[in-house]
Amino acid sequence: MAENTILCVKWGDKYGNEYVERLKEQVEKNCSVPYNFYCLTDNPTQPYHLKLPTTWNEYENGNFWAYRKFHMFAEKTVNKRHGPYRTDLEGDHFLYLDLDVIIQQDLKYFFELDMERPYIVKGWWNDIEVCKKNFVNYQSPMINSSVIRWDRGQMKEIYKHVSKNLDVLFFTYPTIDNYLNHFFYDMYEEDETLNFLNVFSEGDIYSWYKGNVFPDDMEPKKRREECKICLFNNSGEDNDTEELKSLWNT
Amino acid sequence: MEYLKYTPEMARDWKNAINSLDGYIEKRVWDSMNESQLVSKLWLVEEMLNLNMKPINISLLAGWFAQYIVPLLYDNFESIESIENFEMDRNIKSLAYKFNTRYKKDDKYKIRIKNIMFANMLGKTERHDTVINCSCEHMYPMSRFRELENAGMDNNEALYILQSSNDTQYDDHINCVKSADELAEQAKLVEIMYAGERLLPNGMTRFMVIGR
Repeated sequence: MAENTILCVKWGDKYGNEYVERLKEQVEKNCSVPYNFYCLTDNPTQPYHLKLPTTWNEYENGNFWAYRKFHMFAEKTVNKRHGPYRTDLEGDHFLYLDLDVIIQQDLKYFFELDMERPYIVKGWWNDIEVCKKNFVNYQSPMINSSVIRWDRGQMKEIYKHVSKNLDVLFFTYPTIDNYLNHFFYDMYEEDETLNFLNVFSEGDIYSWYKGNVFPDDMEPKKRREECKICLFNNSGEDNDTEELKSLWNT
Repeated sequence: MEYLKYTPEMARDWKNAINSLDGYIEKRVWDSMNESQLVSKLWLVEEMLNLNMKPINISLLAGWFAQYIVPLLYDNFESIESIENFEMDRNIKSLAYKFNTRYKKDDKYKIRIKNIMFANMLGKTERHDTVINCSCEHMYPMSRFRELENAGMDNNEALYILQSSNDTQYDDHINCVKSADELAEQAKLVEIMYAGERLLPNGMTRFMVIGR
């Protein structure tokens, strides 16, 4: 097995299997280093599908959207004499991608990053003043979990924190981005190296609906070929999936 | 309790605070100073007086700018030695100090930025005898807070004064209640000293319970 693992998570019926297939095709076309590919799903039908656990579903209350993503951070420790860690996910270097992304450049870039800390998307298109204003209302998170890069073990702390606080997290936070924004990324911190989560550099990842970098490069629905990944995040509202599909082949 | 004493010291602090208002925070400050805010804080102090309470060290949870409640408490209870406001919104800190500079200078008022639902908020040697939370509608039920508190303290006998609302129109009102009883149940209070409700000028019903 390769050391690098690229994965996505699919549940429910918002996105059909064709989105997973299309993401897989995009990865095949845009990743020049060896990798494993997995999809964590509630309905496994393919060899690369892994069954999502259902243990947290009893807390489901319409809030805490996309919490199933956290299952990819679960790691089972076994007897260290027989190997340091074991989990259903093979590999040591992980790159998570949402299903509604367009990959524009070689994903090798993400596997060559300095991995002192795990990475998540910073919404460079956000006005930080709006993020600060809405922080206490659990809205407008500065970070976005559409793309996450971590090495084995780095996200265990987050998984443990979620596992220990399921009832209060599901009750309080509308999305996992709000949660991560409250606990693992301090937008007030001037020295970003002190944050648990690192962020991808400005211009690496942009938003189709919101823009690239606030306030100078904010034109929505504009193709930016120089960026590595384009997100179709639309604040939790239904994405214009037809628009995404129309761009798959361009 | 019918009024808040507007003293020269308060006038100085409030003028300094209001002079520093900028951007969106200005609207927040005015929201925090409306008629209903004052009515609910006057009601709280009135019931504390009726119960002949003698608070000493008060933890104020999610106290926001605390420009009404801090002076109301100090003006009406000679027993108080300190009030600490536990907030998770960093943006309010400097302004909340400005409104209460006179107490901060005397080391009688502090603000700590903390999410109180995830860890015991006090250090091992710190104690409070009274917990006031006028923002229960903004957070997970208070039973969680009490579990965290009790885990970190022996013989925790703190008195809880809790307010909440039935006003569901705001996204951040994630835990509205329909009665004072429901509020008490959420906090798992077993000794209820007061439970009541009041229709506020803004049309919402406010509920309050005092107990252990």
